[in-house]
Amino acid sequence: MSQLRINELIPEGRLLASGHLACPGCAAPLAMKLALNALGANTIVVMPACCYTIIAGPWPQSSLQVPVFHTAFATGPAVASGIRAALDTQGKFDTTVLVWVGDGGTFDIGLQSLSGAAERNENILYVCYDNEAYMNTGIQRSSATPWGAWTTTTPAQFPEASNKKDILAIMAAHNIPYAATATPAYPVDFIAKVNKAKAMRGTRFIHLLSPCPPGWKCGDDEGLELARMAVQSRVFPMVEVEDGQHWRVTMEHAGDPVEPYLRRQGRFRHLSGEQVTHIQREITARWESLQRRAQAEPLVPAGAM
Amino acid sequence: MPKHTTTSGGAARVPEHITTTNGARHVPQVAMSSMSTLATRTGSWKYQYPAYHDRVAPCNAGCPVGIDIEGYMNLLREGRVDEARDLLLAENPLPAVTGRVCHHPCENQCNRRALDEAVAIHAVERAMGDLAHQRPAPVFRSALRPERVAVVGSGPAGLACAYHLARFGYGVTVYEAAPAPGGMLRLGIPEYRLPRDVLDRDIARVAAHGAEIKCGVRIGRDISWDDLHRTFDAIFVAVGAHASRALGVPGEDLPGVRPGLAFLREVNLGGRPDLGRHVVVVGGGNTAMDCARSAMRLGARVTVVYRRTRDEMPAIREEVEDAMREGAEFVFLANPLAFTSAAGRVDAIVCERMALGEPDASGRRRPMPTGERFTVYADTVLSAIGESTALDGFYPDVQGSASGLEVDALGGTSRDLLYAGGDVTDLERTVADALGAGKRAALGIDRHLRKHHGDTHELNALRFGEGNLSAARWLRRDPIRRTDPINQVVGVDDLNFTQYQRVRRHADPHLPSGSAVTGFDEVNAGLTASEAMDEAKRCLNCGVCTECDVCLIFCPDAAITHAEGGAYVIALDYCKGCGICAAECPRGAITMTQDRP
Repeated sequence: MSQLRINELIPEGRLLASGHLACPGCAAPLAMKLALNALGANTIVVMPACCYTIIAGPWPQSSLQVPVFHTAFATGPAVASGIRAALDTQGKFDTTVLVWVGDGGTFDIGLQSLSGAAERNENILYVCYDNEAYMNTGIQRSSATPWGAWTTTTPAQFPEASNKKDILAIMAAHNIPYAATATPAYPVDFIAKVNKAKAMRGTRFIHLLSPCPPGWKCGDDEGLELARMAVQSRVFPMVEVEDGQHWRVTMEHAGDPVEPYLRRQGRFRHLSGEQVTHIQREITARWESLQRRAQAEPLVPAGAM
Repeated sequence: MPKHTTTSGGAARVPEHITTTNGARHVPQVAMSSMSTLATRTGSWKYQYPAYHDRVAPCNAGCPVGIDIEGYMNLLREGRVDEARDLLLAENPLPAVTGRVCHHPCENQCNRRALDEAVAIHAVERAMGDLAHQRPAPVFRSALRPERVAVVGSGPAGLACAYHLARFGYGVTVYEAAPAPGGMLRLGIPEYRLPRDVLDRDIARVAAHGAEIKCGVRIGRDISWDDLHRTFDAIFVAVGAHASRALGVPGEDLPGVRPGLAFLREVNLGGRPDLGRHVVVVGGGNTAMDCARSAMRLGARVTVVYRRTRDEMPAIREEVEDAMREGAEFVFLANPLAFTSAAGRVDAIVCERMALGEPDASGRRRPMPTGERFTVYADTVLSAIGESTALDGFYPDVQGSASGLEVDALGGTSRDLLYAGGDVTDLERTVADALGAGKRAALGIDRHLRKHHGDTHELNALRFGEGNLSAARWLRRDPIRRTDPINQVVGVDDLNFTQYQRVRRHADPHLPSGSAVTGFDEVNAGLTASEAMDEAKRCLNCGVCTECDVCLIFCPDAAITHAEGGAYVIALDYCKGCGICAAECPRGAITMTQDRP
């Protein structure tokens, strides 16, 4: 069969209800649906301020069919640590505590509490769905916004001047059991990583590239294709790191040129050819550095897609 | 294929105890949600709607026969082999033949070429055709009709017309001038490409459907066309094009210079003429390749002389490759000017070197003379530069009776109840086109005799895209139920290759060329049944839902669910119209539309 039967590799589930408030084409609820399918109903979600605070639904509604704790921006990992302790006290070791938060609450606000939880190796699963700016407040730049991107605070005349923060390396540097990148556009790879993380104890971190059609200025139906282009052009490589030491690339990356990926998004429309060349050089350098880190580790064979 | 539905309506309630205020019962100490978001009808946000519309695979549209290739591939994928065989036979009476000799334009259209290589459709068809010999399909005939139809010529066009007319319920008599039926399939195509037992079994299928085949009867000589008209209610003319076109150069009538078709006819009826040591074949079409390869099997060294280059050769690519593999030498850009003789017999061809100029009407670059001359020695010359038609005692007033008969969309000539198809018409001269023309004429005759006045719209509903007509649809026996079909061909841009993996195409196994040229055994051994099944599973099923769940998995709004009994339900109350299902569908079976379903 030449079509990968992803339906046999992705668990079914009904833990995400329709009627949530994500924009059309938002990848975050897709990521949530897939993650909950893998984690199952025995999960508690801790949700610092982020798009998903809105997406989850207005009180008294919730689109998640598992308990959700909304928390202040900076306190996700701290609240999760407390919930974990309460569960452990009750002997509920099997319950997964999932922190679900955007790039703002991870890269900027909340980095200290995340670092603290990781340092203590709290037994939590932390998923950052990264749409590369503060999207629901009006597309303000974050430290996850890539170099050269337009946002409302980095207009086209003065686009983002800093490189995207390498959050995976920061988390890996805490020597936590598991840190990985993923995207819902490759659901089999994502599910495999969630399953792997679920089976571990300690702080587990997954960094998701989550396309945002209004913020990236692309069509509602283009986000997943763009995420795949980001992976294939090595803008956002699929990687996992165990114990902060063992780096592994989890799928083939075609090494496509980055330009088509950039040109399909309004947030990069102003870039000159020279700037695109600069971005391409940066990507190549980062990829080579990743190759050096991952050299000793074989590519994960079948299944990871 | 499956039947999809959409839902709307159904309200969600807000529980009373949560909405109470100021110290009433059960007010939670923290604000706690008590219900899902199903009360929020996010479906109202959308300006476009997803809908399951099965569309047309390019192979189907590109098949001159009008075979539902995607349909039988789909059935094979599901393991429904007998149904796949029946679907193939509903459109094509001779699959074991076409699986071997068709130039398979379907494969040139295959969208899979954008991923790796085209599906080897011909090999699957061949395997199905051979399977149908071992496990014949039941004979199907509609309610019998009182009218009788004469089919003149038993080549692919005549056999297809007879077969479909028999299935439509008519009495059919096929007249064949040669001693055995098959037309060019028997007289033109050599045994090493099409073994005679395979041809005989496919023809037997036509006879089994009730068509009577009378050989050794030449209409216009043994029976007049007028007599035929009086005896039958309609006539289908498919006598082919069996005369070789003359080169028109001095020395063409020398002994040793032969029309290629006459040579093939002799060999194909069992003759083994002595051609001498060196044979020159003039031409670059399939007849030329058949002449070259047959001559090699008679022990000759063969040189093919062609006035353009390999790229412009009209022969099927594989035939050229096989001829080269078997040792034929090719002299390109060479145009014969004259034949010279020694001892009253041809001994050489004087050729002029050509150069390619501007494209001509056929789109190929025109050969231009350069003035440079050279000589190719030959004991025998076989000319194969084209065929022409020859109709005995035929009606001179029928349009195109001198060159090629002119026919309408359903094979009708300018004379009432006289239909035509195949090489005798001015259409493409391939086996597939002949089979397609026979089917079109059968449909035209059926409509005419039943005084059925359908319009163009009705005919287009029988087509795959703008391709040929489907007999199964005409009989309303199309076993493939498609969901709200749109008669629009799916292109590469409509597909999403993310979920497909590269899988190597099965190559046809060939006899080693050294032993192939020692006899007339079939050169291409074909795929095994299991290899053919693997090949069928390479089919992308363009345009047709296979219930692969990709739409359901990727819907960010969880608005797509399994329907009872297969297929999917889209909850339009919640679908925001983002279009991800349509973008992610691997095969272009979901369409975004502005019209509310």
